Amino acid sequence: MESALDSYLPTLGRYVLVAIGLLVLMYVVYRVQLWFGIKREAATGRALVMPWIIGFLVFNLFPIGASLYLSFTEYNLFKPPEWVGTDNYKEIFSLKAAKLDDPDQRSREVLPRRYREVWRVGSYVVGAKEEDFWISMKFTLTYAVLTIPLGLMGSLGVAMLLNQRVKGLSLWRVLFYTPSILPVVATALLWRWMFSQNGIINTIFDPIYDLLSMEIPRWFTEPKMARPAFLIISMWGVFGANSVILLAGLKGIPQELYEAAALDGAGEWRKFRHITIPMLSPSLFYILVVSTIAALQVFELAAFIPTSKEVGTFINWLIYREAFDTRHMGMASAMAWILTLVILAFTALIFRSSQAWVFYQGTREEKN
Amino acid sequence: MAELVQKRRKDWLIESPGPSQVRFYVRQTIIYGLLIGCAIIVLIPVIWMISTSLKTRDQLFTGKVEFVPDPAAPENYADVWEKLNSISPQMTFARILGNTLFITLLAMFGEIFSASLVAYGFSRFRWRGRDTLFLIMLSTVMLPGIVTRVPAFLMWRDLKLINTYDPLTWPSLFAWGPLYVFLMRQFFLSVPTEIEEAAIIDGANTAQVYWYVMLPLIRPVLLAIAVLSFQANWNNFQSPLLYLTASERFPLALAVRFFDQSLSKEAPQWNYMMAMSTMMAAPVLAIYFLAQRQFIEGINFGAVKG
Repeated sequence: MESALDSYLPTLGRYVLVAIGLLVLMYVVYRVQLWFGIKREAATGRALVMPWIIGFLVFNLFPIGASLYLSFTEYNLFKPPEWVGTDNYKEIFSLKAAKLDDPDQRSREVLPRRYREVWRVGSYVVGAKEEDFWISMKFTLTYAVLTIPLGLMGSLGVAMLLNQRVKGLSLWRVLFYTPSILPVVATALLWRWMFSQNGIINTIFDPIYDLLSMEIPRWFTEPKMARPAFLIISMWGVFGANSVILLAGLKGIPQELYEAAALDGAGEWRKFRHITIPMLSPSLFYILVVSTIAALQVFELAAFIPTSKEVGTFINWLIYREAFDTRHMGMASAMAWILTLVILAFTALIFRSSQAWVFYQGTREEKN
Repeated sequence: MAELVQKRRKDWLIESPGPSQVRFYVRQTIIYGLLIGCAIIVLIPVIWMISTSLKTRDQLFTGKVEFVPDPAAPENYADVWEKLNSISPQMTFARILGNTLFITLLAMFGEIFSASLVAYGFSRFRWRGRDTLFLIMLSTVMLPGIVTRVPAFLMWRDLKLINTYDPLTWPSLFAWGPLYVFLMRQFFLSVPTEIEEAAIIDGANTAQVYWYVMLPLIRPVLLAIAVLSFQANWNNFQSPLLYLTASERFPLALAVRFFDQSLSKEAPQWNYMMAMSTMMAAPVLAIYFLAQRQFIEGINFGAVKG
């Protein structure tokens, strides 16, 4: 029998040692700088950020480099990594298009061996060797592209409602923020239960299914149904949190702007388009960046809601399984790098476009 | 109320000529109707979770939507742990709760402590390279965790610390949450420098200024970050999944998964799973409701001023 203390105390001991070591190190860094004749102010500042610098080197920079190296190897934890060059990437990017003779034809008949269908556009079919990766990538990207603008619009709507001088504002805010406080583990299970065969959602919509004479949908196994289901889940999770942030932005817009526009005869739409949106653009930008990064890295939902092979899953979970279930550490690292580049591309796009639409007030104090 | 209507009328005069009271009330009705609609959408799943957790097995699949189970089965909350004990004898409620609290509190303390030091260094002192480093720190937000996960796992394996709490706790002392640093830096920047200068003239050193002057001043954001960090670490699933292998060392999030994957595999026992989910959600919700005002203000401060 292992007592709880046996597992807590060693960790606690190392925790205290690391903390003391860190403080000592900060002091040494400070002293060494003074010795080199650096001013007290600069020396103190640098000493204070030491914890982050070490953390960045050990837990970010080194692992990123190591992961890049691993992505060019084959590694299963037991034998040392074996250099394979760009093989992992070649395998992932093995994509072949073929033409179907008739739409009902099985794609296997036209695709080369080891290639399986990923897309079907008209009479063309695209196959890949790593078809799970591409199906999940497609699933994750469409999810992101749908959920981000819808979530943004929804939360903007709620924020504008809350901005109408409603009574009990703090109560509404607390209420709408609640879903993003709940553990994702709990909400993922909850939604799996609600969307399950005998779940509340199918029970409520049963009359409508009858009316449309459609079968009871299997939400997470049918490709057509899975995306809307995950979309609903994600909207429920974030719209409240984002609307609270947008509300704070709305409250910061000077009322005079609206009054001046009204005197000039501007209607509701023009006020919204030419005052609200520009004044709110920094908050919108912040939410856009944060929700893009989050949407491309959904993990818990995928871990707790099994989907069928045809649906695919969230790419982050797929990579995790590739690394730690099938132990293809090299292949998983290559996939992780592709995901990293996708996220960087998306954020770069948002940052570039922000110059055109994000408006910082001229009177703002200089940004530090 | 009359005053409010009067006030609204004045506003309306600016917006459109000759508004009637009827129009004002129609508008209010629509607004509150929409708000109540949103509230219902937010609340129904939460209520359904609690309601399911109080149902017996037979009440789960009645084909009807019943929010109040009759009779209620609060014994689910105890039974679920008995069931877990039957397959893993050491997974008691006290043990799992202890594990979760141990991880959460150590990580939370480390995050707040290190983030406040680093934010202080990034905001109140001028030194060459500061702004570049700060930008680098912010840009690490974009890095997906998965890209560092494999090498990090290998590092902990080489240190022989897999299946210990180490990877989940003391790395927090290295300011692993850039957003917390960002939030606190915003707050530090808003403190007038005179306060610090006065303390220094009175003979305080940097550590004393930080501890006795700066920390008390930024208490609102400390509380917001404490709530945020408690919630994030309590809810954390990814890292425990990677580093913990022995079931008696699991935090709640992994215990829920363990139940799902073992006892609930063939026929999902939703009443028990929802009982566990409710147990996991309750402390986070309680803390959030207690500290909601400071929490929401703290979050807004970072986002709006950012």
